[in-house]
Amino acid sequence: MKFLLIAAAALHLFGAGKRIPFVLATLLQTIYVVMRGLELGRLPIIGPHDTIAFYAASIALMALPFVVSRQLSSSQAFAWITAAFSGMFSLFSLMFKPSMFPLPPVLKTMWFEFHVALAFFAYGLFTIGAVLGGIYLAKSDRKILDFQYRAALTGYSFFSASMVTGGIWGYYAWGTYWLWTPKELWTAILWLFYSLYLHFRLKGRDWDRVTAWCGIVGFLITIFTYLGVSMLLKSSHSF
Amino acid sequence: MIKRTYNFLCSLDLSFWLLTLIMVVMGAASFLLREGSAINEIALFKWIAQSPASETWWVWTVLALLAVLAVNTVFCSADTIISRISKGGILRLIAPQLMHAGFLLVATAHLVSAIGGEKEGGQIIQGMTVQLPDSSSLRFDSIKVATGMYGMPTEYSAKITHISQTGTKQAEISPNHPWFTGRYGLYLKNVENGNPPMGVVELHAEPGASAALAGGILFTAGNLLLLFYRRGREEGGW
Repeated sequence: MKFLLIAAAALHLFGAGKRIPFVLATLLQTIYVVMRGLELGRLPIIGPHDTIAFYAASIALMALPFVVSRQLSSSQAFAWITAAFSGMFSLFSLMFKPSMFPLPPVLKTMWFEFHVALAFFAYGLFTIGAVLGGIYLAKSDRKILDFQYRAALTGYSFFSASMVTGGIWGYYAWGTYWLWTPKELWTAILWLFYSLYLHFRLKGRDWDRVTAWCGIVGFLITIFTYLGVSMLLKSSHSF
Repeated sequence: MIKRTYNFLCSLDLSFWLLTLIMVVMGAASFLLREGSAINEIALFKWIAQSPASETWWVWTVLALLAVLAVNTVFCSADTIISRISKGGILRLIAPQLMHAGFLLVATAHLVSAIGGEKEGGQIIQGMTVQLPDSSSLRFDSIKVATGMYGMPTEYSAKITHISQTGTKQAEISPNHPWFTGRYGLYLKNVENGNPPMGVVELHAEPGASAALAGGILFTAGNLLLLFYRRGREEGGW
């Protein structure tokens, strides 16, 4: 099954930002995630291999509306850079062995699945926001910044919903909707950061470059929240 | 003076500074949290009272900053509603304010749980009876566990009987399916398939849970409304 991820990464990395290779690669990534799900009998969202593959697919899936958008068709750089991110994370997932362990009983609930899936959709959109921020800083085309805002707002909505479903899961599983661990602290930081980002819009056009940079910083916080905390800090949320 | 204070409390710059400072303090705290800290074992304010200032300073700092942010949020929302209500588009105006209200409700819920939260835990054995804080008692009739191919538990549950002055009730608890009585929830955390079978249970009181859920729903409603009104907007319209 791993050949699906390798083929998807190849299409993403060598598709030169063209729509058809992008859509095909996204389809292959989605098929891989679905097949892993069928193999495991649940959403494949446990362990580094499955979560990184899910994240890679989320980037591509969330980018699809932007890639096919007529308003963004002039910016092939967007599709190319996003495809490169998605392809590289697909390859990165192959560095880890797929986990075949049965799901611990406490994770067998739809609230957990919603919590994790929504978080990855948000991470995907925050990644897209960073790409758009970089393109805006290079081209100074305000249309790009509008797309960045759309990505961030939609990502923020997914992330907020992930926090709500995570709270419900935590309450039923652990007896509390919040734990003071490094992962939760960084989750709160990420949420507060995008709250801040969305309010920058109210400051007007003078703040456009700051906003674009914040989209990039937000991606760095996202990566630290997802991978950095699990690798560097002790937390109940390690993969 | 009043005008200056009002403008300060309505200021978007104040929101930016507060949010930035909260993030910096939380970021620092994530590296300072000690492994094995009792912060999640007791209510937050009880932990603060028992722990040295070198461990709790960040909670106090975040609380102080959040308190000012809450006031700032209320003033910003009120100012926006007052200045724009005559221009129409009530739902579009209300959407972000619903999100602000949801945030404030969740923050209040955390405060309520930090003050009144309770957590007790202990080992149980099949057939054992324990006393609950409300003087009713709980008997663990049976404990079951199923293990998978790696020897890890795949399912476990316990049948319980609750005996109180109002009568006797039977229930089953398992992971993600606690049993609630009054303000307490009983959670089955682990089991061992011995003879007799044993387990670990926790009794939690989370008085802010309903407010947190209400806040989450309010926030989500405002968020969906905002997305609905901003769908398909062209450049500059966001």
